[in-house]
Order: sequence, then C-alpha cells, then structure tokens
Amino acid sequence: MPKTILKAAAGLIVLALLMAIPKYVESPYALHMMILLFLSVSMGQSWNILGGFAGQYSVGHAAYFGVGAYTTMMLMQAKQIPPWIGVWVGMVLVVAVALAIGSICFRLRGPYFVLASIAVAEILRLSAINLTTLTNGAEGILVTELPAFKIGERVVTDFSTKVPFYYIGLFLALLTIGITYSVQHSKLGYFFQAIREDQDAAHSLGISISLYKNIALGISAVLTSLAGAFYGIYVGFVDPPTVLGLDVSVQIMLICIIGGMGTLWGPVLGALVLVPMSEALRSNMVTDLLVRVGLVNADSKVGLFLKENLAHAHVLLYGILVVLVILFMPDGLMGFVKKLARRRKQEAV
Amino acid sequence: MAVFMQSLISGILIGGVYALIGIGLTLIFGVMRVINFAHGDILMVGMYLTYLAFTVLGIDPFVSVLITFPLMFLFGGFLQRVFINRVLKAVAQNQILLTIGLGLIMSNTVMLIFTSDYKLITTSYSSSTLKVGGGVSVSTPLLISFLITTAITAVLYWFLLKTDTGQAIRATAQDRDAAQLMGINVKRMSIIAFGLGSALAGTAGALISPTYYIFPQVGAVFTLKAFVITVLGGMGSVVGAMLGGILIGVTESLSAVYISSGWKDVVVFVLFLLVLLFKPSGLMGKSRT
Repeated sequence: MPKTILKAAAGLIVLALLMAIPKYVESPYALHMMILLFLSVSMGQSWNILGGFAGQYSVGHAAYFGVGAYTTMMLMQAKQIPPWIGVWVGMVLVVAVALAIGSICFRLRGPYFVLASIAVAEILRLSAINLTTLTNGAEGILVTELPAFKIGERVVTDFSTKVPFYYIGLFLALLTIGITYSVQHSKLGYFFQAIREDQDAAHSLGISISLYKNIALGISAVLTSLAGAFYGIYVGFVDPPTVLGLDVSVQIMLICIIGGMGTLWGPVLGALVLVPMSEALRSNMVTDLLVRVGLVNADSKVGLFLKENLAHAHVLLYGILVVLVILFMPDGLMGFVKKLARRRKQEAV
Repeated sequence: MAVFMQSLISGILIGGVYALIGIGLTLIFGVMRVINFAHGDILMVGMYLTYLAFTVLGIDPFVSVLITFPLMFLFGGFLQRVFINRVLKAVAQNQILLTIGLGLIMSNTVMLIFTSDYKLITTSYSSSTLKVGGGVSVSTPLLISFLITTAITAVLYWFLLKTDTGQAIRATAQDRDAAQLMGINVKRMSIIAFGLGSALAGTAGALISPTYYIFPQVGAVFTLKAFVITVLGGMGSVVGAMLGGILIGVTESLSAVYISSGWKDVVVFVLFLLVLLFKPSGLMGKSRT
C-alpha cells in the first residue's frame, strides 16, 4: 500500500512540475524541446496500443498521422475552420481509414500485415502528392496564422507564444498515457494481449479476433491522428514526406520499441532518449561540444566535416540505435531496466 | 497500338531488372524466413559502387557488374554473419526492425559520404534507342540490362537446380532442421543465400544506374517494389519473383501511359493489396524452385 501512495505522490509532483514549467521557463527553445517530447510520447504511446499490446506491428502509422494533420490543415486553409473543430473531422476520417485498412490488413498475419500497412500509407502519401487541388501536392500546406481560441467572448489564447502549445502537448501526452493505462488494466487490454501472445488460442477462447484487432487499431489511429493534427498546427506546415512518409511510420515505431513495447512507460522512456539525442545532433550540439572539449579543432577538416554533416545524421543514429536495441535489448530499455532490477533483487536474496 | 506495344515492351524490359530485385529478396526469405527491409538500400549501395567505378575508374556501368556482384556478395555475407544471423530465431518484428535499422544506417552513411545530391551516370548510350519497327523503339541501356538480367537469372537457375551448393540452399529453404540433420551446413547456406540476394540487388542497382537518378534515399522505393514483386509471385518462389517482376514492370509502364505517371505507383500498391486480399500465397503459391 505505501508503495502505491509513494508512486501517486511522485506522479503528482512530476505533474505539478510539468504544469509549472512555462511559468518559470521563458526560453522558447526549451519549450520547443518539451513540446517535441510530448508529441513523441503521444505518438509512441498510440502505436503502443496496437503494436505493443495487440501485437500488430503496423509500419504504416504515418497514414493516421498524416490524415489527422492534413484534414486539420486543409479545413483551416480552405474553409477557415479552426483546428479544434477540424481535429474532430480528422478523427472521424481516420476511423474510416482505419476500418478500411483493418478490414483488408487484419486478414493477414505477421509479415504480410506489415507489408500491407506500409502499402496503405504509401498509397495515401502518393495520393496527397497527386491530388493537388485538395492538398496542394508536393508543395504542402502552410498556415501561418491560427485563429484565437475563445470561450464565449473571452479570448483564452491567441497562440502567439509556445505556451498554449506546451499545454496542449502535455494534455495529449497525459491523455495517451491515461488511455494506455486504462487499456492495460481492463478486459480490453487482456484481450489484446491474448491476441498478441497466441491468436489461435485467443480465438478458441471465444475472443473475436477481428473485432478486438479493429478496436485496438481504432484507438491507436485516433490518438495518432490527434498527434498529427497537433504537429500540423504547431509547425504550421505539412507536406507529404514529413507527415505521410515511411520515415514517420518508422519513427513512431522506434519511440515505442527503443523504450519497450507493451509497457506503460516504455514510450515515455523512448521519447526521453530519442528526442534529446536527435535534437543534439540536429542542432550541432555534439560538434560544438567536441570542439569545446578540445577533441576536434573547429577549423580543421574533421571539424568542418562534422559541422557540415552531423546535423543531417540524426537518422543514422536512429539506425544504429535500432540495431543495438534489437541485438542486445530486444525488450527495449524498459525490459533492460527491469532485467537489471530483477538481477539486483536476486543478488540481494 | 504503337503506344501500347511501346509501353508493353519497355515494361517487360524494366520488369527484367525488377525480377532480379525480387529474386534476391525471395531467396533470402526462402532460406532464412527473414523479410529483408534493407533490400532497396543494398541496391542503392550497388548503385553507388557503380557510380564510383564509373567516375573514379572510368568503368562502364554494365561492365562494372563484374565488380559489383562479388563485392555485394561479400557485403551481404557480412551482414548475414554479423547481424541477421543473431535474430534468425527472434520474433518476426525484431527481424524486420533490424533490417530497417541496417537500411537506415546504409542510406545515411552514403548520405554523409556523397551528400544527398542527385547523381547521374551519363554514358554515350544513355539516351540512345533502337528502332524495332512499327513505330516502336527500345531504349538501348534498358535492352542491354534486360539481356544481362536474363543471363544472370539463367545462371542462377542452373546454380540452384544443378549444383550441390544450390541444392543444399534449396534443401535449407524447404526445411532448415531436416537439412541440418542431413549434414548440410545451414549457417553457411544462409550466408551464401544472403550474399546472393544482396549481389542480385546490387547488380540490379548497377544495371539501372545509367537510366535512373542515384541518391541515398532511392532504396525505399525499391524495397517496397521488391515486396510487391515477391508477394505477387509467392514468397520464396524464384519463378514467381520473375513473373512478378515482369508483371509489375508492365503494370507500371502501362498505367504511366494510360493513367498518369504520378499515379503509377498507386496502381502497383492497389494491385498489391488486392493480391494480399484474394490470393495471399501469390501467383506461384507455396511452390519453391
């Protein structure tokens, strides 16, 4: 009992800290990092429900991310519909897409499902490029000004700073964590896990495989579309490769896999590792550090090369991380931590 | 009619190269049951090898196959030995992720070395054509690459059917455990199979390099295409991959003419989904060479 109280208290303290950050931190860069972190958590967590719990490894989650982002942006640009309304349209559309995908892909197992999920996302990406009248094609959609959010006559925020985005992001991350928690501790979650562990056994126990797979996909897709819509309005720009590309699908998966699939805190851990790491590479922080420590001379050939290229190399790091995680920690960081904890416990006994 | 014949023929010619890519993937899948998501990136490495051979040593892209093939074989063997071998018993998604990771490493390393600029290999024959008659003409580089592909496929077929090693590879594909009990060194066969698969992909890269843009991210397109081809033909079937390759080549070429070039890949993916839906075992079913 005291353990749960302790846990709850720790959670509340972290939450209070997170709520308080924008009050004391003014640096837009720090807030930007936090927003990216929240976004990654919600993306990873959404994938977790389908991939981690129900065991359906979708490599096409960009489809839902992109549909969410595009719908919101398109409605805002063409019809001046504010994003907090557009997002609902996006969710409805995503459910429709997810059900269509589910009815095709869930007849397939294992590798075939993976391939089908990629194909669907690619069809959407290519359609976004080709349907120029709707989506503006490869040029993408740019929305520079968001309408102010009002309740009645009172303006709650006009989105001129990063603070409102911070709270939306935080809400999104908490929402996905909350939903994952409730899924994990409900009958639904047990059904998902039964399907993951042994589809045939689950079926023979009377669990409707296609129904529950579709439910898992539906929840996962809706949450992913929310993350996509948030990404769209935060960045203010969407184009086919950045929201519908295969890279996006891989990134969504990676957050979850590096952290640990099928665990509540895995995606959080994954985001905590991935976001700062890729940001450090992107912003040349690593090169600056190497220069400052004196390992590399800033004007030498190596220094210039690193400065020039390391910024583009964050995806290389993703690759290396995946390979290392799969080979040495197949259960992700979370599994690794748990294993260490177990070993220590055993040694103590 | 001339337009139809024209696009049909160029579809078949490009389909020959697709077949090569598909055979590589299907060979790897057949022997190891691993879906190689780095297949397109391996092809991309082959393209850059060809590019290097062309710009540094001045070797013709089609002649450079003689260098690309053995080098890519060694590269594939190395990948199998060091990485893939460790996940043969792991769950499917870990194998997929590992190969995705390897692909990311390849494409981004190449990007660091060569930057992401588009490169072109311009040869004397790059844009030359052969008149066939009836208003139909054939691109010379495509024709040469098709001939080389056919030769390689024939040799490969003979190798798999007639040689001891080829038979051992097929035995491993049929039943890994039984093959091992029969005294076949399955580990070695896996290395050979992955090496061969990579060599075929690399060769395909070399063959298309005179007619295609070379850039680090080119692999993703071909990875997807390779899947479509092998699933269409039936996973693990070499003959199926040949058929699948040509079918995809023709589909692409015809839909580029009759629908639009922007939608041709969509047509291919829709076809892919339809096959998955109605005949997931592919055209050649479960049969293997």
